[in-house]
Amino acid sequence: MLNFNWLQNVSAEQAKIIFLILFGIIAVLVLSISNEYIFEGIAKEDRRWYMNLKIWALLVLGSLFYTYYIF
Amino acid sequence: MLAGIDYFIVIAYIIGILILGFYFRRFVSSSEDYFLAGKSLPFWAIGMSIVVSDIGALDFVGISGQGYRYGISVGNFDWIGSVPAMLLAAFIFVPYFWKGGVYTIPEYLGKRYNRHVRTIASLTWLFFFAVNLGVLFWASAVLLNVLMGWSIWSSIIITAVVVGLYTYFGGITAVVMTDVVQLIIMFVGGFTLVFLGLEEIGGWEVMVDKITAMGPEFSQHFKLMQPADTPTPYPWTGILFGLTFVMANAYMIGNQAIVQRCLTAKNVWHAKASMIMAAGLKMMIPVLVLFPGLMAIIIHPGLEDGDQALPMLIKSILPPGLIGLMFSAFFAGLMSSVDSILNSTATIFTKDIYEPYIRPNASDKHYLAVGRITTISLLVLGVATSKISSQYPGLYVAIQSFLSYFQGPIFSILLLGIFWKRATQWGGLAGLVIGIVVAFILNSVDGIFTIEDPFLYVSWWSFVTGFVVTIIVSLFTTPKTDIQLSGLVFSRVIRK
Repeated sequence: MLNFNWLQNVSAEQAKIIFLILFGIIAVLVLSISNEYIFEGIAKEDRRWYMNLKIWALLVLGSLFYTYYIF
Repeated sequence: MLAGIDYFIVIAYIIGILILGFYFRRFVSSSEDYFLAGKSLPFWAIGMSIVVSDIGALDFVGISGQGYRYGISVGNFDWIGSVPAMLLAAFIFVPYFWKGGVYTIPEYLGKRYNRHVRTIASLTWLFFFAVNLGVLFWASAVLLNVLMGWSIWSSIIITAVVVGLYTYFGGITAVVMTDVVQLIIMFVGGFTLVFLGLEEIGGWEVMVDKITAMGPEFSQHFKLMQPADTPTPYPWTGILFGLTFVMANAYMIGNQAIVQRCLTAKNVWHAKASMIMAAGLKMMIPVLVLFPGLMAIIIHPGLEDGDQALPMLIKSILPPGLIGLMFSAFFAGLMSSVDSILNSTATIFTKDIYEPYIRPNASDKHYLAVGRITTISLLVLGVATSKISSQYPGLYVAIQSFLSYFQGPIFSILLLGIFWKRATQWGGLAGLVIGIVVAFILNSVDGIFTIEDPFLYVSWWSFVTGFVVTIIVSLFTTPKTDIQLSGLVFSRVIRK
């Protein structure tokens, strides 16, 4: 059990799908965070669309997804 | 190996870093300035500092060597082994630490659980950092000696003097701002090497075709996912459970050197943004440190020691001038690692040991002086003990293993501490101690694991142990009240 023998029938290709699904779940969680929390620390009148950290996070996650999709 | 122009570039870099770091002494007038930059730094500087402090001179050579042996699966450590954890840190943990006004992770653990947990965590980090400094000095200096012919003691003394001066006077502001320059040097040097290497080979696709045609041992070199029964240290099960779920989170959320940088942010948005920016930069690190190892498979096939891949590539590809730039990049890696250790250790010692146990209620100037004296003392200790580490060749690996014993259990109590109000002080203490003991046992008894160097599995199972023990003990002990837990546990951030 300590060596994860019970997962040895899962191929590397199937494992890759598990990782891609994991990235998708993280993206959904990021999207579900409230904008108020995302912009906390910046005055309302100073908020701009490019300061939305959800966009930053999704760009990084997108590049991670693409990397794992290719390799 | 160095030409005149290379010496000029290296010396200009060292003098430039010294002047830049020294400039920031004017911004330090209190202990908060020294340890947290007066909570004034912008996200871009912190983000760059987080990344560069994570990449040392040894990593350049070590990861290239691993890439030479195992292929791009080593990249998992900077991709899935960093990015998801950094997002979790950015959106959940860092805002809590920042708003909680803490200086250190052990301080948070002390508030959330009790002073015993704080002391165990801080002593463990102090031991790790203190021993690691001497080993890091010597191992990096030997590397620079092999690569560039620079004498070992020259590397150590120059690094100690330059880093010591700017860290002593400028505190974490100087550390972060010099890291910014060091990251730029690293990226310019690293990308230049990769660009010239690929040009020499004929491009990325040619490289992939040539390597995969070299035989069955290279058939998995361009696959991130390795089968669960692979003999390499990177089976996908270890990458998922040990690296993604535990080690990555423990490193990005529980490591003082990383988190302290986010605490210097000018507001909570900058604190979150710094970590996300660092995640974006992290995506590029394998290109810098892993790709040279892959290119060396074609340019220098058949090397017995994979760690020779990067030095050989530098010698064969880079012209004079660029070798100096690359040498500066190695120096930057060493300096950024040393300044991180110095400042983090001084912070933990002053805030978690000296202030609560040795001299409580002293003036702020006194704690500032203690932080500075600790910085210099640690530096002298690191230089003095560096030669000793040469007599114990396995010491560097042993120290890294020691950190892996600790990371799983500490992440388990951090996770439960912030997400589960019912976790009690005795649950956290039991989870931490028993988790560490189990990690030692798993790593000491031969024959438990079937893969080479099973640190990923040890991290996972020690995390599970710490997690389960904390829950069980907590259910039988009295939790803190809601008032005591105010600001220390997670509340709703999801849209209603």
